[in-house]
Amino acid sequence: MPKKTVIFILSLCWLTVMLQASFKKEDIKVFQLDNGLKIILYEDHKIPNISYYTFFRVGSRCERPGLTGVSHFIEHMMFNGTKKYGPGEFDRLMEFNGGANNAYTGDDFTAYTDWFPSTALEKMVELEADRMQGLLFDPQVLESERGVIASERRLSVENNNEAILYENVRATAIMAHPYHWDVIGWMSDILGWRPDEIKQYYQTYYAPNNAVLVVVGDFESSKLMELIKKYYGQIPAQSPPPPIITVEPPQQGRKEVVVRKEAQTPSFMVVYHGPACTSPDFFALSILQKPLVEGESSRLYRRLVRQEQLALSVSGGIEEKIDPFLFMIEVKPRPGVDLTRIEKIIDEELAKIIQEGLSETEFEKARNIGLSSFYFGLQTNSGKANMLGAMEMLYGSYERLFTYIDSYLAVKREDIPSVARKYFNDLNKTVGYLLPEGGQR
Amino acid sequence: MSKFLTVLTIVLLLIPAMLFSTERLPRPEKITLNNGLVVYYLQNPELPLVSFRLLIKGAGSAFEPDGLDGLANFTADMLLKGTSTMTAEEIAEALDFMGARLSFTSVEEYASGGGECLSQFLPRLLHIAADCLSSPAFNEDEYKKELSRKVDTLKAVKDNPGRALRQYFKKAYFGQHPFGHISLGTDSSLARMSLPELKKFHSQRYRPDMTMMALVGDVKREDLVKLLNETIGRWPKAAGPAPAASIPPLPSPVGQKLVLVDKPDATQAYFALGSPGFPQKDKIVVPATIMNTLWGGRFTSWLSTELRIKRGLTYGASSSFQSWKNGGLFMASSYTRNEKIGEMLDITFELLKKARSQGFSAEEIESAKNYIIGQFPETLETNGSKASAYLRLIYYDLGFDYFDRYLADIQAASPKEIKQAAIKLLPEKNYTLVVVGKASEVKKQLGKYGRWEEKKITDPDF
Repeated sequence: MPKKTVIFILSLCWLTVMLQASFKKEDIKVFQLDNGLKIILYEDHKIPNISYYTFFRVGSRCERPGLTGVSHFIEHMMFNGTKKYGPGEFDRLMEFNGGANNAYTGDDFTAYTDWFPSTALEKMVELEADRMQGLLFDPQVLESERGVIASERRLSVENNNEAILYENVRATAIMAHPYHWDVIGWMSDILGWRPDEIKQYYQTYYAPNNAVLVVVGDFESSKLMELIKKYYGQIPAQSPPPPIITVEPPQQGRKEVVVRKEAQTPSFMVVYHGPACTSPDFFALSILQKPLVEGESSRLYRRLVRQEQLALSVSGGIEEKIDPFLFMIEVKPRPGVDLTRIEKIIDEELAKIIQEGLSETEFEKARNIGLSSFYFGLQTNSGKANMLGAMEMLYGSYERLFTYIDSYLAVKREDIPSVARKYFNDLNKTVGYLLPEGGQR
Repeated sequence: MSKFLTVLTIVLLLIPAMLFSTERLPRPEKITLNNGLVVYYLQNPELPLVSFRLLIKGAGSAFEPDGLDGLANFTADMLLKGTSTMTAEEIAEALDFMGARLSFTSVEEYASGGGECLSQFLPRLLHIAADCLSSPAFNEDEYKKELSRKVDTLKAVKDNPGRALRQYFKKAYFGQHPFGHISLGTDSSLARMSLPELKKFHSQRYRPDMTMMALVGDVKREDLVKLLNETIGRWPKAAGPAPAASIPPLPSPVGQKLVLVDKPDATQAYFALGSPGFPQKDKIVVPATIMNTLWGGRFTSWLSTELRIKRGLTYGASSSFQSWKNGGLFMASSYTRNEKIGEMLDITFELLKKARSQGFSAEEIESAKNYIIGQFPETLETNGSKASAYLRLIYYDLGFDYFDRYLADIQAASPKEIKQAAIKLLPEKNYTLVVVGKASEVKKQLGKYGRWEEKKITDPDF
């Protein structure tokens, strides 16, 4: 899912020193309107197209029980009509002008991603400004879209064993913080949100002072700024949204969750509470995860997939979030294997890192993986826009992209064991099993 | 969670768009290596990156012996599992260390490879890629590990109804035609698989004279030529002529072929509907693409509007064309709650009928043209997408000016041609329809389509 992609790209953004060759901080122009809207522009004329990304500081982190999934629902409603342009007009006009779009909602922020030929620029500025304040919430359309979301939940969670297990593990590990639920929300909430609550939520979070606009591609900055002032200038600022005050209390012992479901293969996952992305430990764990779970040379792949042949695949790592989240290790077990054996091997491999840390080679490998992924992420206008915007949302400024490397370089190889010890302990752990109905663990 | 899934975005944007490109596709330089292998090259110094793609003609799944589904893909998988100079673990370690990507796979007509890395690592990556192609070890132990992983992967695929649907559809539509071979393998083909078969497939079908390569990125010509001749260029010429690589004509369904796959725990039913498309070189691609953009190829298409936007029946509904040298396929698919699948199919067939009888309005056609032309440049934005485009243009003999002509033709296409494409290509009575869902709820809604062949998801094979 796009949500994951952002996180993946970001967790790998580093060694930005060499970046200065082609994509320089000095070439980025930043503006702010009186109503608080921040605008980040980067001109690039290689193709006659523009990537126009709007980021709002709203995600499932801002929700409460009864309203879970509503951030994502509003993302859908953003395509369903304003006072000026009726339901479906946004997409119809955009496609008529040669554009396409998507959007994604995460735990921390929501992004609207438009790609179009530069000839469509003014129409797109107008359309995006319009839906920042004027959503219609037509009752019939709202109910129809509720059905779409229910279908999305059935597709992406209920008919996907790994996602069912993830939802259970996450809700078991995280007890108090709103990261307890996933972005899609609980089915009963999806079926039960009240229109007035939805509108209030939109009003609070979809405000220019809660948004950042990132535009990359074939345009002239001064002309674009004129358009932006013309269309966004009159949108009123709103009172700032309430802060999220809940802090997840420390976990005090191993937790386990078992899901039983008709299936031909089991699923397995283990998670540990991890740090927020602003913590220095975040970068140490981000380095650690590469030799642990990334690629066929990683320690867990070798042990679980190749040597012991208990699993088909291994993945995971630390997710980049505003508040402390989870370090996850997801394993697709082979049918019929002893899942406690998988858990034991993961424990053993983590214990080795706690005792011995990473080798020089593994440390350098982690750097190379990061560097190449970073450049591949920058190949396109959209990749650049996405990274700049995500930095704004997670760290408060796009400039973080150009200093990201410093945080990584600050990690010393000898720090790895102590960071590993701090997070990978039994008190901090939650294990999830999905067992085929009637099967044995 | 996004407005729609990435997978659908790819269907929506990349597949139709990969068919067409822009006048901005720079012409590559042709480099012939000492062993006769041809490389298409374009320098791009913007970022310190290089991407390459390989295409091995005649090494696709269509050339597998009957009953050995998955042989071509298995052979491609084994290339990374050890060579005469490196073990599987050494290869994985070297690739991960560089942060590089290297993969081999197969599709119906050919095998393919792809690699990308930071420019500084290109020599090492090309050495490994050349080694994998020319001297894979086919180690017994690695073979057994991979085989057992494939056997278990089939079970995991059947736990995912959307993924399972594609395999059942392929078998139902193509039947005994070699395009019906399942690249994952099947329970019975994997039981019959053997290491000597893999070795034979490799030695007969992986040959420099059947291989072409495209490379785009930050590397200078003189450095590259030297490097290529030291790596891929040393792949020895094959003795004797290449084995036959002809593919029988694609089947055309007559009447309705209906398959229902029972997955009792599914809370949604998934359908795939297919009928003949057109070959890569067929001029009908122009009106057909406009027609499909409007019917099921983008977010505001008829299909998506009726099933998702107006009725909220589904998160995604789309249609696409896939084309090969000697034929093609039209496919539409979506999913909804088990109890709504009948309604969903009724609407789908109504829309097919409407497109054939009415065609599309002038405004719709203008919108589709703008959309196809406007989205086009992004499909060639990366090194990798340019390299893939070069190989496609060569393999299907389309010419490097193909995209220029194509976009001009899109602009010029007439409403009449577009309606004719709908009449010719959208199925009416002759089609294959596969549904995966909870049969006890789904079956009663499907009687009017005719007699359904019923399968259980837990039965072996597809």
